[in-house]
Amino acid sequence: MLNEAAVKELNEIRQKYPNARAALLPALYIAQREFGHLSPEAYEAVSEILGVPKAIARGVATFYVMYKHKPMGRNIVQLCTNVSCMILGAEKLVDFLKNKHGLEPGGTTSDGRFSMVIMECIGACGTAPAMLVNDDFYENLTEKYIEEILGKYK
Amino acid sequence: MGKVLLKNIENPDSADINEYKKAGGYSNLPKALEKQPKEIIEEVKKAGLRGRGGAGFPVAMKWTFASADPKFPKYLLCNADEGEPGTFKDRPILEKNPHLLIEGMAISGYALGAEYGYIYLRGEYPEAKNILNRAIKQANDNGFLGDNILGKGIKFHLAVHQGAGAYICGEETALIESLEGDKGQPRIKPPFPVNVGVFAKPTVVNNVETLSNLPYIIEIGGDAYSKIGTPDCPGPKLYCVSGHVEKPGVYELPMGTILRDIIYTHCGGIKGGRKLKAVIPGGATTPILPPDKIDCPMDFVNMPKHGSMLGSGAVIVMDESVCLVKVCYRILKFLEHESCGKCTPCREGTGWLRSILGRVEGGEGMEGDIDLMLSVSGNMMGKTFCPLGDGAASVVQNFIKHFRPEFEEHIKNAKCRFK
Amino acid sequence: MIKVTINGKEIELEKPVTVLEAARSAGIKIPTLCYHEQLEKYGGCRLCLVEVEKIPRLQTACTLMVTDGMVVRTETPQIADVRRGILEFLLINHPLDCPYCDKAGECELQDLVEKYGPAKGRYKEKKRKAPESLEDPVFVRNMERCVMCTRCVRMCDGVQGASAIAIINRGGHSHMEPFSGGKYDCEYCGNCVSVCPVGAIMSRLHRHSYRPWQVKEKTETICPYCGVGCTVIAQVRDDSIKRVIPKIGSSVNNGMLCSRGRFGYEFVGSSERLTSPMIKKNGVLEQATWEEAISLTAKRLGEIKNKYGGPSIAGIASPRCTNEDNYVFQKFMRVALGTNNIDSTARTGYAGTQKFIENIFGQGATANIISGLSNSDSVLVIGGDPTAINPILGLQIRACSRKGGNILAIGHIKGLEKFNPVTVSPRFYTETLLLEGIVSALKNKKGLPGSIPALEAKIKDISTSAKEVENGCGIAEKDFIRFTDTLSESLTPSIVLGKDIAQSSGGSYKLMLISAINYLMNARIYLLSERANEQGVLDMGCAPDLLPGYRPLSFAEFRKRYENAWKSPISEKPGLSIFEMVDSAKSNALKALYIMGENPVFNLPNSKAVKAALKNVEFIVVQDIFLTETGKLADVVFPALSWAEKEGTFTNMERRIQRLRKAVNREGMEDWRIISEVAKNMGVKLDYSGAEEIFQEISRISPLHRDLTYEEIGKGGAIYPYKGEPLRGVMEDIQMHKGSSVNPDGKLYLRLERPLFHSGTLSTKAPALVKIYPEAVARVSPAVGEALSLKSGDMARVSTRTGSLELPVNIDNKLDNLSVMLTNNFEDKGAFSLMEYTIDPVTKAPVIDANEVKLEKVLA
Repeated sequence: MLNEAAVKELNEIRQKYPNARAALLPALYIAQREFGHLSPEAYEAVSEILGVPKAIARGVATFYVMYKHKPMGRNIVQLCTNVSCMILGAEKLVDFLKNKHGLEPGGTTSDGRFSMVIMECIGACGTAPAMLVNDDFYENLTEKYIEEILGKYK
Repeated sequence: MGKVLLKNIENPDSADINEYKKAGGYSNLPKALEKQPKEIIEEVKKAGLRGRGGAGFPVAMKWTFASADPKFPKYLLCNADEGEPGTFKDRPILEKNPHLLIEGMAISGYALGAEYGYIYLRGEYPEAKNILNRAIKQANDNGFLGDNILGKGIKFHLAVHQGAGAYICGEETALIESLEGDKGQPRIKPPFPVNVGVFAKPTVVNNVETLSNLPYIIEIGGDAYSKIGTPDCPGPKLYCVSGHVEKPGVYELPMGTILRDIIYTHCGGIKGGRKLKAVIPGGATTPILPPDKIDCPMDFVNMPKHGSMLGSGAVIVMDESVCLVKVCYRILKFLEHESCGKCTPCREGTGWLRSILGRVEGGEGMEGDIDLMLSVSGNMMGKTFCPLGDGAASVVQNFIKHFRPEFEEHIKNAKCRFK
Repeated sequence: MIKVTINGKEIELEKPVTVLEAARSAGIKIPTLCYHEQLEKYGGCRLCLVEVEKIPRLQTACTLMVTDGMVVRTETPQIADVRRGILEFLLINHPLDCPYCDKAGECELQDLVEKYGPAKGRYKEKKRKAPESLEDPVFVRNMERCVMCTRCVRMCDGVQGASAIAIINRGGHSHMEPFSGGKYDCEYCGNCVSVCPVGAIMSRLHRHSYRPWQVKEKTETICPYCGVGCTVIAQVRDDSIKRVIPKIGSSVNNGMLCSRGRFGYEFVGSSERLTSPMIKKNGVLEQATWEEAISLTAKRLGEIKNKYGGPSIAGIASPRCTNEDNYVFQKFMRVALGTNNIDSTARTGYAGTQKFIENIFGQGATANIISGLSNSDSVLVIGGDPTAINPILGLQIRACSRKGGNILAIGHIKGLEKFNPVTVSPRFYTETLLLEGIVSALKNKKGLPGSIPALEAKIKDISTSAKEVENGCGIAEKDFIRFTDTLSESLTPSIVLGKDIAQSSGGSYKLMLISAINYLMNARIYLLSERANEQGVLDMGCAPDLLPGYRPLSFAEFRKRYENAWKSPISEKPGLSIFEMVDSAKSNALKALYIMGENPVFNLPNSKAVKAALKNVEFIVVQDIFLTETGKLADVVFPALSWAEKEGTFTNMERRIQRLRKAVNREGMEDWRIISEVAKNMGVKLDYSGAEEIFQEISRISPLHRDLTYEEIGKGGAIYPYKGEPLRGVMEDIQMHKGSSVNPDGKLYLRLERPLFHSGTLSTKAPALVKIYPEAVARVSPAVGEALSLKSGDMARVSTRTGSLELPVNIDNKLDNLSVMLTNNFEDKGAFSLMEYTIDPVTKAPVIDANEVKLEKVLA
């Protein structure tokens, strides 16, 4: 079950919409934050509050890539490899993360510190290659810069 | 002409309401509220404003349809889901100039008779979400949004709805589905959103950049605005340039600026003085152009005449070091990943094309693969539910059209020489 | 008038339809896959793309509405290429395992590829792999074969309303899954299976046991389970039912079925079926010949009649048997045995409720068309979960909600909880106060119409405020006001009434209050009916106070009519009700009992007492398809033919008379024929050549069935009164009984659960339903569980004054803290074995809501 604060937050968000169903995407974000990922319990909590059948909620959530369906590391490295980033060397950075940090796309480091996800265009093409770590943008990436960035996340 | 859309963004506090007001912001909303809603729509019509999301649909026409529908309430949705690879033009507005968008939406909402607005923001812009939420709160506190805007008894409520990572939600009916808490899969049209949109009510969906033009149209009037840029599609335009240019970035220029000038004049030419190989002028799914075809005015009307499209104005510049088979593969991989799965040709065709491209790029192409790709993309083109599938077919067709020898070489030599 | 031209053919249409529908109306076929007439438009498969003049892009015929002057072409070389291309796309990931796939032969993809498809594939990559899922006991899911038409999901979510499955993931990686990813947590209606065009979701019941073209017999008949009366197609191979499917366009269920209807047929082929008559010798039932059994029965009944008189004999008819069976049975009782002692389990609620309400509003007041529910602007539900008791009727309530109507629920209704019901849940034993409150509120808002003085006299006496409801029922005043406001603002309300009301204390008083609501709202009222022919058994006169045609025995004019027709006197003395028969057996007054297709030891409350009483009866005859607990007490047991093995008619709750058709051949006799043979042996002529001849007699003498023929019924059922007149103007003073008040504090009460997957003996002999719902469980609220440290799955002892059972516990967070819910579906573990009853003096229904129960944890 969601804790009281999360339920309150969700009920506030619910007020932004004319019906409960429309609050499903934000509710899933909250449940993901609270449960770590969208576990069966997370769906049940959302379903209970919004009245959206849990199978339907799961169908919707799995359509979107930003919802996580398995436990993730404490920090999520989201590296873009789409065209603008690719032609400026993003793939080398993928190799770098793999070889140097054991971070494979879709994988999590054994210490649970990082998970890595390959992103489709994150809107930083003018400063490619780019990535997000959690909610923070990092642009004009180089191997050296990545080293420095990762050091900031424990 | 000074900057309109990117005005004041060098100011580190540009997102704050006071800075925005200092720079003249929120002076056009009161002016707009003095007018009748119909008069505003008339100004927009005179201005010749076209949607900046990619399709270039005349804005006044959409608004007229929606405002004529008797159903209430009406909704104004801001499409802030820019996801077309190469596109990053709306991000500076969202992050640095959110009040311009809010003012634009308040004006538009009034013009349309919409009482509720949502900014559908892509999930990949977490920073923008916080900035927008703060800006909306400031605007509410200052009476620019809410139940009684500027004491005039006009109601417009605005909220941010965050997407969760689906390119297809840039398509307006998919965006509506997503806002309603469903998968972002396009809807059958008709009915069109202007009549049956979000929550089954009349709905206008406009892009961030489009709506951000509104204060300026009110400021200088539709006639003056229509003199900017090309007569068929006037106004300032954001061009976002990435790839192998000296100075990539977002440029606000008059609509119809020549592509060559964007690359060579504004962006300082090709990086390191290397040779230009190809340009994708309007985002990854617009037709690629070879170097001899870049003397085209970048607007909605002229680009099709030059074999491509303006799209989102996302110019991706590639020098001679780039393997175009690989770029084509990467775009198809993206489209396969983003295909919503609703219609057969897109769901199955994008993956099939990606796999053929993958083997060609990997040196395992077979004789006949190029014709097979043309045949498969032909079986997609014009048969898909929404433009995503057509886009995928078009990407393959245009890469092959302009760069067939490079594909042939990959197959013949059974390897990629760019590796 | 809209004129369109399709393939050069001019078509005129009354109203705008899609191009596809227009083409079909003109006999032009356009291939489709995602389109399904029961489902919302989708436009995904793209097979129905057509050329339309003046529109540059190809258009999907299934979504495009015709406009006047439109010119469409559906067969051009370009279109042929498009179809081939689409089918090639569908096949790139579809396995070519047709020789192994059960769908082959009725697979829409196979048929399309055969007609339009590419002869050869050009896809060189590996196909998508997804192992076939056999994690569910009933459904097999094969996602390699899925073509992503989403028909299953649109059915489950949009029509059935179960919302148990969804497409997960996106694009080419997506597939259909139930929430768990494996086993289904659903209503098991199987309507997803019906609409799947390929072999992606199928039933395991007949897996690899036949090919579609081998089921030569396709018999259209009526479902044997509940009182809705769904049309089903029984598909038979070698006299074994392989599959039961619905039919699109059928009158009641239009292409839909529920779990019982679709998966409950296996009892027909059960190895436990009785095969031979049996006679009890020295306390043991032994096989006997038909002749022995018939002549013994005739002889003994004759002896008892002569010795003790007709009224010492009683008969129990069956709401599972046909009208013809029941008609012949009551005629036998009245004519051959000279008694009106005939009744059925309809007495447990349905009969009394109907009589009560129709006494006020006139005959036929409770006969309403089920599909009409979806057009109501509000539906008030009370006394049971319609989606479990009468699932197909429940769908119409869900449809009402989907169309914007309001569901008003008294008490929590599980199957409607996702449909935004406005619910008021009164505390235990305060339902009466709530109903009084509602009547008061409606009286104040709507005023009295003035048409039924007897009812108005009662209404005038009622005055209960919202505040009193709040204090007494524990319903917040604002919730009560919202409820009554919503109800009173309704223009076309319906009331759906379940048996729990008649079975609760003060049942007849509550029925008066519900009648008052019905009256003040000018509503339509529907009575939930648990048995396929519960209405028919009453209509046929299998009631102590009714003659065929639902004519009161007390009217001399009707008696005379039947005496003339049957050429035999009819006693004017009303007979015994089923419960009075039990009492009479207990006091040794009842000497013989003839039971047709019923199991009173199991299906009546206080089964132990019923069993003990029956043991006193000198001679018991049982006709049934299984050897039941009651059968074991019998002196003669006859094996009957089941529903699938005979002709006849059922009358559903709408009073739609529908034909059963023989699907399976089996040696033996129909119930009516056994009775007729017994009668013959007693020297009474009760001969008929077949069910149709019996029906001809019924339609000759029953005013409600006047002139009705099998041929006429065969056209999709006939709703009575066919040509005759319903009975009006028998209004009597309204008798009712308030019941005693109970203070439930701190106690637990045993309550009867009526689950979706079972309905008594038949369903527990259907293996699929047993797999879905395998055993009796006691459901309690989390608080009750916690107090006794019980978790779901723990064993508990459930005890009442009459006995105790050990059962697994299931914690249900929707239950109140006073209830222990138990079904009556598993012999030896039935709720009725623990329940005592009193009889409501007006409805004669058993009151079973006052059974205190003790719950203890059983340590393993």
